Formats: sequence, C-alpha cells, structure tokens
Amino acid sequence: MSAVVQTRRRGNAGLLRFLIRRSPLGLALVTLFFLSAVFGPHFAPHSMTDTNLAMALQGPSAEHWLGTDPLGRDVFSRLLGASRVAGQAFLIVVLIGGIAGTALGLFAGGRGGLIDLVVSRVVEILQGFPTILVAIVIVALLNPSLTNAMVAVGLAAIPDFARVSRSVAIQLRDREFIQAARGLGAGEMRILWSEVLPNMAGPLVVIASFDGAQAVLWEASLSFLGLGVQPPDPSFGSMLREAQNYLAIQPSLAIIVGLAVSGFILGMNLLGDALGDYFEQAR
Amino acid sequence: MVFFLLGRAAGAIVTLFCVSALAFFATALAPGNPAAVLLGNMATPERVEAVTRQMGLDQPPAVRYVIWLRETLSGNLGTSNLSFKPVNELLAAALPPTLQLALTSMLVAVIVAIPLGLILAQNRDRWWSGPTSALVTLGISVPGFWVGLLLIITMSVWLKLLPSAGYVPLSRSVSGNLRSMVLPVVTLSIYLVPPLVRFVRVAAIEVLREGYVDTARAKGVRPSSILLRHVAPNTLITTITYIGLQLGVLISGAIVVEVIFSIPGIGRLGMNAVLNRDYPVVQGVVLVTAAGYVLVNLAIDIAYAFIDPRVRAR
Repeated sequence: MSAVVQTRRRGNAGLLRFLIRRSPLGLALVTLFFLSAVFGPHFAPHSMTDTNLAMALQGPSAEHWLGTDPLGRDVFSRLLGASRVAGQAFLIVVLIGGIAGTALGLFAGGRGGLIDLVVSRVVEILQGFPTILVAIVIVALLNPSLTNAMVAVGLAAIPDFARVSRSVAIQLRDREFIQAARGLGAGEMRILWSEVLPNMAGPLVVIASFDGAQAVLWEASLSFLGLGVQPPDPSFGSMLREAQNYLAIQPSLAIIVGLAVSGFILGMNLLGDALGDYFEQAR
Repeated sequence: MVFFLLGRAAGAIVTLFCVSALAFFATALAPGNPAAVLLGNMATPERVEAVTRQMGLDQPPAVRYVIWLRETLSGNLGTSNLSFKPVNELLAAALPPTLQLALTSMLVAVIVAIPLGLILAQNRDRWWSGPTSALVTLGISVPGFWVGLLLIITMSVWLKLLPSAGYVPLSRSVSGNLRSMVLPVVTLSIYLVPPLVRFVRVAAIEVLREGYVDTARAKGVRPSSILLRHVAPNTLITTITYIGLQLGVLISGAIVVEVIFSIPGIGRLGMNAVLNRDYPVVQGVVLVTAAGYVLVNLAIDIAYAFIDPRVRAR
C-alpha cells in the first residue's frame, strides 16, 4: 500500500461514480452498515434486551425473522443494535488513531530531523505490537466496556495513520506550493495545517476504511472474549459468545451473526481497496 | 552490522522495559486494595492495614515498581490471588499448549500461503486470478474465531469427526494430542494465511518486474524455474519482516482460539485472570507474551541482517 499524493481534484460525484463502477458490493454493504448503525435501533421490531425464555432458540419465523437467542430475544433486533455498537467502535478507533497518528506523522515528516527519527522508531516498535495485550492491560486497569476495549484498538491504529501521513508529508515537504507558502511568510505549523494536511485526505481515507474494518473485527473479538460490550447489550462479539454454548442446538444463531459481521468487514475492505485504486489513479 | 544489531537489541530492551512498567502500573494503580481482596469481606480494618504493610502496598508506586522489577528479574513473579499458586508455575504449565498451537499454526500458514502467493503473482493475468484474490479479501474479512465456530458446527456437531474442545498433552497421547489440535490450528492459520498470501503476491509481482527476471526469461529459462530460483528467494527476504509484523496477530489470535477450544494455555490463563482481577497473573501473562514478541522480532531482525547484505550496510 503506497502512500499517494492526490494532486488533481475531482468532484465527489466523480468519486461516487468510480466506486459504483469499481466496487458496487463494497459500497452497498458499507451503506447498509451505516444506515443500520444510524437508524437501525429505531426500527427494531422487538426489544433488544427483554428476555422471554418460552421463545428461546427458535429458528427464523414470520414473527422473528432471524430467530431468537438463548434468552428468547429477537436476533434481528439485536443485530441492528450490534451494528450501532460496531459503528461506535469504528468511530472511536478512527478518531484516536486518525487524530493522534496523523498529527504524529505530519509533524515527524514535515519537520524531519531528530523528531522524525524518534517518532519513526517509536511507530516502528508499536506497529504490530499485540493489540490484545494492550486491551488486557487497559481492561485490567479500568473495567470491561466497549470504550475501554476500543481505546486499545485505537492506540494500535496510530502507527498506520502515522506511517502514511509521514510519507505524504515527506513527499510534499519541498514541493513548489509549499515553498511558495513559505516564501509568503507562512509559519511551519500553518504550512503543515493548511497546505500539507488537506493534500493527504485521500490516503488517510483509505487507511480509515481498512482500520475501520479492523475496528469492527476487534470489537467482535474483544466482546467475544468478555473484554468489550457486556451483557445484556447486543454486539456482534457478545452475541457470538452467547451463541457458542448452543452450537449443537441452534447452529443458525452463530452462522447468522457471523455472516452479518463478516459482511460489514468485507464491505469496508472492498471499499478500502476501491478507494486506494481511485486515489492511485488520481495521481 | 554490529551497530545495527546493538541498536536493535537496545530497542528491544527499551520496549520490554516500557511494557514491564505498563503492566505494573496498570495493575498497581487499578482501583481496589489487593490486601482487602485477599482477606475477604470479614477482615477487620486493622488486619487489612497490617497485610497492606506486609505486602509493601503502603509504599509509593515507584518504590513498589523497583521492588517488583527486582523480584521479576530474579524470576519471582508472585502468587495468584485466585489459586494461590506461584505465577511461575501457572505460566510454565500454560506455555507448552500455547507454543504448540502458535508454532504449528505459523508453520501451516507459511507452507500454505507462500506458494499460493507466488502462484497468484505468476498467473496474475489469468482469468482465475481475480476471483482468487477476491477470495483472499473475503478471508481477511471473516473473523477467524467465527470460522472456528463454523468448524465446530461442521466437524464436531454434524460429522462428529474431531473434538470440539479440550487439550490432550503430547506426553499423554500423541494421536489424542494431534486430534485435539487440528481444529485450533486450522482456525489460527485462517487468521494468518489471507494477509500473508496478499503480501507475498504483491512482493512477488514487484520482483517479477525486476531486470534480472527479464534477463532470465530472455535466456529461455523455464517460468517455473524463474519463479523458484529468482522470484521466490527475493520475495522471501521481505516476507520474513512481514511475518515479524504478523506476530501480533498470531498472539492475539492464539488467545481467542484458546478460549474457543478450551485450551489451557497462556491466553486462557490471561483472560481468566483479567476477568477475575487476578493482577499478579495478568502481569505475568503480559510480561511473558510481550517478551516473546520482542525477542522473536529481534531474532527476525538479526536473521534479516544475515540474509540480506543490504541491511548490514545501513
């Protein structure tokens, strides 16, 4: 994945047309995901948390489209709630990783010298460090919750954003328009903020898409382990955790929840690929 | 070369130091007095205070960290608040299943992914290359632990071929051990294979564009032999570093897989400890895992320097 500097600007309509042509499935899945994360819980046909043991572990029916879970709750409604949780996970990770990582990379790449050396080395060490260990430490210090678990994943996303924004900043550092701004008397911070930063929007969006997919994956994994969302709240991970004990009795439960979360992650990965192609082409 | 290796070793030591501080302070500063937890609800305040002093918990955190670090370096990791067994013993018992799971899965992943990536790169213009790459993207998107659940449904519940949980030590029964490891290893490999295939494919395509590949082709060397003799070795050099980066995924994946398949390894030990606030065990698990991660990465850096002379020159 090479960092790319977008120089030719095209309208948003051009981007949308490109994505529709290039990755209709990715776009459709991501649109569905965001619609259900934003509006889903309002349209849930049943309560997400009210239990009814008489209705436990039913298969799909007209009343319960995707069946019911071990406590008799409607799986479809809980999936709608889970997609909002996944959306929150996405936001936490991209906000932490995006702001801290971009700031670090921009600063390191734009200023160079000792700052760059130190930041690069730290990023290199952090990159690939097992996210789960960070999550374990944070949850041990605080307590299991969506926010605490996703802060760990957000910290793990910092190196990705830092690497990309640093390499773009280095590519741009000595370009004519930067020198022009410098010649006009703009300060270094101002140059980074208003000249360099807007030009790395493309690559950052690509990283946000891939790291957003990672965020949904991690939410599922950490909540599955019990480090994230706690019962009775629905999330992809907590639903799979509950489904695991009933694999022999009602396997469709685990299959449905897994398909839903895989679909969302696939959508974001496909969109990330397509966005990468778009910004590469725009060069 | 010497400077390169010294620099790497220094980096590894600094990282381990930071991790140890993180593991200690996160658990030392956590709410709740471990002495009170240890004594239970019926303890008098005087007794709690006495034990607090006895455990050294009344000292400032920095002093406690130095004491803890000295103890840790001399090999004493404390006692579990839950089972009252030494953390050393718990870790030693949990290490073999984890190592077996992680090493076998990494081996399987490498054996599957590297040839697949090379073949995909070689045949990138064939009609089936597109669908296969799409399959790889699908593999990256599917949560590994969900695949584990699907394997349990098909292999254990429906076909009744393999056990769905549990671990049989190698010392007790070789065949039982292998049977209990099949599903966990397959599941953990699925975490590793798709990203590795993707990386090898991209790296190999870059190598295929090199001048020496054109030269070999012009000399009339067979494509399969170009792939094996020229492309594969040069691809593997970059792949080794990537495997180092995948180590974090391997560790995280191993923990999840141990929980799914009830394997009594480091991961399950750590998860039980963190959910029950058993801080000495949490510290031990974090420390041992992080040390493993840092040391293997250091070993990879050293191996890399020996394999690729260009790194030594840096």
